[in-house]
Amino acid sequence: MSRVKRIAKELEECRQDAQSGVSLRLNNETDLTHLTGYFKGPPGTPYEKGTFQVDINIPNEYPFKPPQMKFLTKIYHPNISSVTGAICLDILKDAWTPILTLKSSLISLQSLLQSPEPSDPQDAEVAKHYISNKVGFDETAAYWTKLYASDGEKDGQAALSDSALYGIDDEIVTQFENMGFPRDKTILVLRRMGIKSFNNVTNKGETENKILEELLKECQ
Amino acid sequence: MDDHRAVRTLYSGSSDLFNMNEATIEDTIPKDRPLIAPLAPMGVLRAEYENGNQVFVQQIDWLVNNGYKGIRRTRGDGDCFYRSLAFAYVERIMNSEDVDLNVMRAISTLEATPQMLLEVGFQELVFEDFLDIFKDLITRIVQPEPGRSRLTGRVLFDTFNNAEESNSIVMYLRLLTSAQIRLAPEDFAPFLFHPEIGEPMETVSFCENFVEAVGKEADHVQMTALTRALKINVNVAYLDGHARSDGVVTVDFVKFDNATEPEEPISLLYRPGHYDILDSKDQEDLTSLDPLW
Repeated sequence: MSRVKRIAKELEECRQDAQSGVSLRLNNETDLTHLTGYFKGPPGTPYEKGTFQVDINIPNEYPFKPPQMKFLTKIYHPNISSVTGAICLDILKDAWTPILTLKSSLISLQSLLQSPEPSDPQDAEVAKHYISNKVGFDETAAYWTKLYASDGEKDGQAALSDSALYGIDDEIVTQFENMGFPRDKTILVLRRMGIKSFNNVTNKGETENKILEELLKECQ
Repeated sequence: MDDHRAVRTLYSGSSDLFNMNEATIEDTIPKDRPLIAPLAPMGVLRAEYENGNQVFVQQIDWLVNNGYKGIRRTRGDGDCFYRSLAFAYVERIMNSEDVDLNVMRAISTLEATPQMLLEVGFQELVFEDFLDIFKDLITRIVQPEPGRSRLTGRVLFDTFNNAEESNSIVMYLRLLTSAQIRLAPEDFAPFLFHPEIGEPMETVSFCENFVEAVGKEADHVQMTALTRALKINVNVAYLDGHARSDGVVTVDFVKFDNATEPEEPISLLYRPGHYDILDSKDQEDLTSLDPLW
């Protein structure tokens, strides 16, 4: 009962507030427990100009238990699963307190985009990329923002290559493609091995052999 | 900060008490206990210690001999201080001689508190429902709402075992405690230490992590702040399992005297890491109009 009252108040407060840049919408007008949150990517980050959608599920024990949130918009970020959108953020887990609200949680997600915590990752692959090659990470994150989080029409945009999607140097993919390996398997293996390019590799020949071995296993 | 000084003295005489805090009683209390249990004779607690530390047994006997015949246990979920205090606070008003006066006094104290919470930056929408639940409960002692019965022991018990209502009241007391600490930083700052590592802490960080957070146990700072905000007297009996150096077994009480009018203190029982309510009765009042026990 008081949960419904509280959510209604929070929605009203969010509706009246044009400053914060976050908004909330009910998925279904008759159900106050399933919402979608929206906010803009912070300026000066690879998420700039993107609009991110977050799925919000409110448990029975709200506000004593945190709302369950996950990204609906695909996003490339160390603390957010690139596959499921699951979020690693303390206030949505054990640091939740009933003085937080849906709006303040969305604002915290916005700051998470501003300040990733690669030491406490949700997506280990993405975190590895962030730590080993920040420039490459930023490029990939910006690609994903353009591809998945843009307001504009998707069709009007230049097609992004599947290798760029994972921050992998297209040259490597082409190299193995030319040897007859399928493109998707090559990207899969390179992702699994955490190899994005040959730039920082000391022994290129040895690395190539390892990739070949994995590819042969994968394509059996 | 007389309360703190008292506790410091108590602690300095018994460094083991600190060590006992490490492995708290709370860890051994099952989580599926009711939020608040019916009143039980002290013998129930005594039986649990009979095969263990005999000083505990003697301390329990000391309490019985000094008029504390019953114990009302609370769930060991880290909210036990706030929940015990809230229950005992409402129950005492309900059982007082001048019920009308005491209800009015409590309501007027509580109605002055939202200003404190707003002042330290809590949003009204996050606390107003919690306060309404607490105030409604107290008001029902004298003024039943339409369709709802007057507050009785049974209703009070049920309300505190309803997680939503119970936790709302606990949360309000947490926010009130936090506001009191934040509004008088000079009174509390010297006593704000991280409960596990013992390092000094900033006021805001202490309040966020160890006052406002659900399930975080209260210590002397929180107890001082809350008894001040509610203007009440609370005596906490420390059951520490230690005899005095001369071998005599007694129980030390830490007193928080913050009532503005003379009044009997609420009595709580502290065992390292856990609070329960002490009572002069050893069972529920069977003459109550709706006997449930």
